[in-house]
Amino acid sequence: MDANQYIALAAFLFGIGLVGVVVKRNMLVVFMCIELMLNAANLTFLAFARRAGNMNGHAIAFFVIAVAAAEAAVGLAIVIAVFRTRGTLNVDEVASLRN
Amino acid sequence: MPRKIVIWVVLAALVVTFVGVLGARMAEGAVLPEIILGPLGLTDALFYLFAAMTFAGAATVALSKNILHSALGLLAALMGTGSLYVFLSADFLAVTQLLVYIGGVLVLILFAVMLTNRITEVKISNASLGLVGGGALLVATVPVLVFVAIATPWATIVPAELAPTTREIGNAFLTRWLLPFELASLVLLATLIGAVVIARKELKQDEPDTSVS
Amino acid sequence: MEQLIGNNLASVAGFRPELVLTFGSIALLVLDLVLRRSRSRRALLAGAAVIVLGLAAVLLAAQSTASTPLFNGMIASDAFATFFKWIFLAAGFLTVLIVAQGDDYPSPRVGEFYGLLLAVVLGMFLMASATNLLTIYMSIELVSMVSYVLAGFRKSDRKAAEASLKYVIYGSVASGVMLFGMSYLYGLLGTFDVLAFAPKIAELSATTGAAGAATKLALVVAVVFVSSGVGYKIASVPWHMWCPDVYEGAPTPFTAFLSVGPKAAGFALALRFFLGSFAGPMGANGMAESIAGIPWPAVIGVLSAVTMTLGNLTAIAQTNLKRLLAYSSIAHAGYTLMGLATLSALGMQGVMIYMLIYLVMNLGAFLVVIVVAEATGSESIFDYSGLVHRHPLAAIAFGIFLFSLTGLPPFAGFTGKWYLFYAVIERASGPAGFWYGALAVVGALNTAVSLYYYARIIRAMFLEAPHVTDRVAPKLGYQLMLGAFSAAILVFGIWWAPIVEWSQRSMVMLRG
Repeated sequence: MDANQYIALAAFLFGIGLVGVVVKRNMLVVFMCIELMLNAANLTFLAFARRAGNMNGHAIAFFVIAVAAAEAAVGLAIVIAVFRTRGTLNVDEVASLRN
Repeated sequence: MPRKIVIWVVLAALVVTFVGVLGARMAEGAVLPEIILGPLGLTDALFYLFAAMTFAGAATVALSKNILHSALGLLAALMGTGSLYVFLSADFLAVTQLLVYIGGVLVLILFAVMLTNRITEVKISNASLGLVGGGALLVATVPVLVFVAIATPWATIVPAELAPTTREIGNAFLTRWLLPFELASLVLLATLIGAVVIARKELKQDEPDTSVS
Repeated sequence: MEQLIGNNLASVAGFRPELVLTFGSIALLVLDLVLRRSRSRRALLAGAAVIVLGLAAVLLAAQSTASTPLFNGMIASDAFATFFKWIFLAAGFLTVLIVAQGDDYPSPRVGEFYGLLLAVVLGMFLMASATNLLTIYMSIELVSMVSYVLAGFRKSDRKAAEASLKYVIYGSVASGVMLFGMSYLYGLLGTFDVLAFAPKIAELSATTGAAGAATKLALVVAVVFVSSGVGYKIASVPWHMWCPDVYEGAPTPFTAFLSVGPKAAGFALALRFFLGSFAGPMGANGMAESIAGIPWPAVIGVLSAVTMTLGNLTAIAQTNLKRLLAYSSIAHAGYTLMGLATLSALGMQGVMIYMLIYLVMNLGAFLVVIVVAEATGSESIFDYSGLVHRHPLAAIAFGIFLFSLTGLPPFAGFTGKWYLFYAVIERASGPAGFWYGALAVVGALNTAVSLYYYARIIRAMFLEAPHVTDRVAPKLGYQLMLGAFSAAILVFGIWWAPIVEWSQRSMVMLRG
């Protein structure tokens, strides 16, 4: 199996994630799309790690997973906090800052 | 509904079995059997299967109007990429993906979906706006990235066989990558404290007056 | 393997300030619990934070500035990193002093704030010294993650929660894009070691034909994506969108910290990344050429021009002082990017000097906003009218900071801007000089625009009649700090030799 196919798949995955972040209005879905982007990066790292023959790609993929877990914890805590004060998760409605 | 649940459970069980079996065999130093299935080898067929699963899952996340379907799509995408990690001889990462990503992050997201849903009983739909902008972005980025992915002669040094990685990763984390490893623990500690700070009950004196009951 | 372990153990000697910050951060969180019921809790916790920062400063001063790789090449210890570490320590120290006196952070929460603030300072230390993609990623994440929390600290406050939500989303997207770029860089170069990039890129550029073109495109995509992580930290276009909302919503002392600390850390990282790996060695005239024939200076220059223009033009319409200063900080990121675009020794020095001076003048400006907000409860420009009658010191100090931000002599901001413009103009006589000349002109026009909205505040403070006439009596500590900041701006505006000499000495960077 040619590694270029993995990289192309990852490019698609990344593109879908990026577009989802821009298009979607629900915070939780935006978070899911960010997870897609991180997964795309991981897939590329691992595809290249196999070709490059060193473990760097494995290391950073592991750290990305760890950081993504932390990010999800903080992000969702903040989502809940916003929901408590406003009762909505719609990005457009979260705009009391723009006045 | 029950039928859907059964389908999901079967799908999840399949992926977990796949990763588990192949990961275990890889640890013993086995290589993928070359079985020919019609025009494709077994490896190729499995690759396309998991790639299709990943792609479909990702598309569901970004396109579905129902947030629960989005979450399930994410599950499919994560499982698909996790299975692909096995092909890339990243057995350790594949298992980590299953445990941390699907077991942790996804469950956390599902909790948030349920929690925010329950509070007001309002159906959280995600009607998509800015579709034009998103489409433009898609057209601008994906072809470039895919072209780059396919056309670039990436640096190839060793065409590695499938090989177990866990021992090597373990050793490297405590030697070569000691500093980033410790840094990761600090990031996790700080965010743990931060998440508690943000999510815990507000202190009496500055109780929010707009709290939702 | 023994060698790797040995290197790790030996590296601890060059890592003492960071260790102090790590353990100090944890100690403060514990101390916060111990002092739960103490009456003088606020003072004790602030004292402890100052002691930790002071200890880190002592160890930093004692540390050699010789260029050495630490922890098997994960980070570098050199004079360049040390310069920026002093900026971060100063930013942390001044923020602790401001928070200790203010009421932005209620007493039960203040211990957690100090503990997490020290973790951010540690993250910035590592950003300034990271020489490996792994440490770059992890240090950026450490700074970002903790900043998300600190920005949303007042969670009963709707604005703070929303600000921190925006911050998380933009931050996660930026770091996702950066990671994807890093993965392409890894695919092209096969290594994470930033110091080893330059020879490999030179090698890559030797490939010709269709493959060569694709490689070049991949390289451009990779670097543009990677720089999104940095662009997000310094708030440059197109990663500036979070900036006004977060600056307005976050508690003001932390806003002040955000505007100087992480911005300086981002520039330190960018300097190391671009000058260390995408520029050839500096010639005798102190100028480097970008390798592989890819016009990085042009890309950064365009980014710089767009960033400063957008920041300044949007700032004109603002009436909330925190928002106005947010757009002004975007504009300043644009000015500072000019120094990065030159890829020269002088440009690098300009960035370093500017970040140092910007620390004082921008913290000062935010301090005035805090003082006025505590007295009037408002951040609107309308409540600044006639400030000179109500509180002369704050008005005069704000005037000094604003003139300095504009870059007028004899204030320190002029020194910083002069070096940045000088670096650009030095390039204007060389190849592609026309574009550098154009960049300098855009910078000058922007300075004129910025004078317009800074002067609007000054006019309100000095020439308009106050709505209310009661005098404001800020705390003595605030008055002392305002006085000290103003004095520093005036002194360094006239006698800048020490700053220039110090930055000159600190331009030594570990190279591969």
